[in-house]
Amino acid sequence: MSKKLMVIPEQCSGCRICELVCAIKHFGVNNPKKSAIKVLTIYPHPVVRMPIVCSQCKVLTCAQVCPVDALQRSDGVLQLDKENCISCYKCVDACPFGAIYVHEDYDLPIICDMCGGDPECVKKCPTGALRLIPESTLGEFKRLNNVLSYTQMKEIEFYEKGERKVIHYAEVGKEEL
Amino acid sequence: MSIKSGYFNKHLHVDLTKGTAEHQDISDAFLEKYIGGRGFGAKLVWDNLKKHDFRVDPLGPENLLVIAPGPLTGVYLPSSGKTSFAAISPATGLYGDSSMGGGFGVELRQTGVDVLSITGRAPELSVLFIDNGETTVLPTPELKEKSCLEAEGIIKERLGTYAIHVATIGVAGENMVNFACVNADWSRNAGRTGIGTIMGAKNLKAIVVRGHKDLPAHDVSGLMEEADKAYKYLKEHKYFSMWQQEGLMNIIEYANEKGILPVCNFKDTVFAKHNQINGATMLAHYKIGDSACFSCSMCCGNICLVKNGKYTGTIIEGPEYESCAMLGPNLGIDNFAAILSAIRLCDELGVDTISTGNIVGAVIEGYERGILSLSDLDGSEITWGDEDAILELIQKIADRQGIGNILADGSRRIIEKWPEMDKIILQVKGLEQSAYDSRAGITMGLGYATSDIGAHHTRAWTVAKEIEEGQNWSDDEKVGIVIYHQKVRPLFDMLGVCRLPWIELGLNERHYENFYKCVTGKEASLEQLLELSNDIYNLTRLINTRLGTTRKDDSLPYKVWANPPLTGPNVGKVIDQEDFQKLLSLYYQKRGWDEDGIPPTGLESKFED
Repeated sequence: MSKKLMVIPEQCSGCRICELVCAIKHFGVNNPKKSAIKVLTIYPHPVVRMPIVCSQCKVLTCAQVCPVDALQRSDGVLQLDKENCISCYKCVDACPFGAIYVHEDYDLPIICDMCGGDPECVKKCPTGALRLIPESTLGEFKRLNNVLSYTQMKEIEFYEKGERKVIHYAEVGKEEL
Repeated sequence: MSIKSGYFNKHLHVDLTKGTAEHQDISDAFLEKYIGGRGFGAKLVWDNLKKHDFRVDPLGPENLLVIAPGPLTGVYLPSSGKTSFAAISPATGLYGDSSMGGGFGVELRQTGVDVLSITGRAPELSVLFIDNGETTVLPTPELKEKSCLEAEGIIKERLGTYAIHVATIGVAGENMVNFACVNADWSRNAGRTGIGTIMGAKNLKAIVVRGHKDLPAHDVSGLMEEADKAYKYLKEHKYFSMWQQEGLMNIIEYANEKGILPVCNFKDTVFAKHNQINGATMLAHYKIGDSACFSCSMCCGNICLVKNGKYTGTIIEGPEYESCAMLGPNLGIDNFAAILSAIRLCDELGVDTISTGNIVGAVIEGYERGILSLSDLDGSEITWGDEDAILELIQKIADRQGIGNILADGSRRIIEKWPEMDKIILQVKGLEQSAYDSRAGITMGLGYATSDIGAHHTRAWTVAKEIEEGQNWSDDEKVGIVIYHQKVRPLFDMLGVCRLPWIELGLNERHYENFYKCVTGKEASLEQLLELSNDIYNLTRLINTRLGTTRKDDSLPYKVWANPPLTGPNVGKVIDQEDFQKLLSLYYQKRGWDEDGIPPTGLESKFED
């Protein structure tokens, strides 16, 4: 079963633990700039915290522009051939998401390797903004969120053993769509 | 065993008058003794005072502004995003410091320096840009009168990059409002003691940093292991998810229940409409996202948006307890959207929400009691809960318009102008009081009175513990807990980490000796680290006493002795002068200071190198 690293920006707090653990895992140093994932924070217009990491696209735009074929998919994960890469960074420009990184201490482009199937960033993300999920379930979170905001949600407040609780429900058939 | 890693051994000193920047080497002995953060701040401020024969005008070019992360800033461990700003404070005229979260300090370290110090005054409004070791001063007259948020955006646009961290001042800083703050990462503030005022006096609109360097650490895998234990402890804590959701806003309910919430300029400590301004209300109607400082799993920062009514579209990073309490109940405001709007205004203008809340509260009460006349208020009335008038007054303070011109000079000047205001305004040594009432616990009062920067809770926050466990504490225990807090809390500011995992979720302080060891390679017990922190407390005391502080300054606001809260669990309670003086004497004795609070002669030699 093929798994995807999914990003849920709505749950990202911008703490950048993902950047740190990625750098420690791959370079053995505390340096968030040496990571294959970075959190882009925009505020206040709009408010976005977006971890940007390789999407493992099926069509590898990055590989298509590589003049020496140093980017290949193997076991479902994009791999960089470190021997043959000529550090031209064409891939950095070509990635539609800007998810390939460069650091001045290191000639090769920095690309997510999914940590061999068990990404460190997913394990250490404290808010659940990064998840490893079966490819076929991609989009579930978006669907749920979309449905919740699409339906006119009603709200009932009640107390259970002294604790305030809220139930949200949709009044089916009451809203003109 | 000495230090093996954890530092760049570099001090970057910038002279804005001359437009020069130089990297100076720092010795291992210095690093071991002063650790970082506030430790570096106190030492460099002390050296600078000596150089100027103890005559440093807080707003003069000679005042040295020290910006220091710590050896743990930016490395993998819980909440390592803190950095300290230190100088002679315009609020108190004494030692002042304030710390900031976010990612500014991490980025500053990554430029390859352990500490940045700034002196002089730029000929025109400028930005200091430290780009991975290269330092330039850019004239930026176009940033004049730009709000903190606007300025950050313009700077990012001008430099053509979002991958920088910007610490900026707003109009209040430019106008040298006595309690102006420094705002970085849009809404993280070094809020207290007028650090932004000093930047304004230096014509320094912003400090911009971009760095790519590895943060040195001796044993990265050991650190990873220790840090993972700490993260795991936090994650499994029963209040962890509550912290992620509400952050510091959960304290509103607690403070209201225990009678330590400031209401109408501390006239009362219980707010009838607390339900409208608490964490639950925020979650139900305003919160749209989480926000965390660097490497923090607790993400106590909130992002809130007002979705309807008069303040629609107001967005802030926050609120947190202090800002909400000081600009909400302390001013009689029960409309959460209006509180958010006031906080946003303070963020934009770059004024400290705690001092602003105190001063506006004192103005309202002063007018109520007839100390301030309508003409003093430039003809516009202001009363409890009057949102429009309050927002207008905050703006007037930042712009130094009308009465704002006097208020902008802070409580000492206000008292000078209207002596009766001394009975109304809550301040110690010129710094306005934090949002925890001390009448509920004498140790909190002792903490405010003996804090080296004035009435701030950063050094000792003992009120909750005293309410819960301290009913029968002996004097010895009372003084003991204040001194322990004054050792351990500043230690976090020296290491460059946040204290909340410890104070709020009980992360054992022993973790920090392991973190320190993994990063620096130097073995030091918690007790040894606390002794180093205590040395800094003695050093800041030395600074203050050399600048004139004596026992009479280690006092509390008039209200604490004379005006008990009107309702709630602490109704009728005040702090008894005699009890307090007895505790203060014991405190001095335990610290080894004399009856007048002066540290022993000869202590100075300890801080010579």
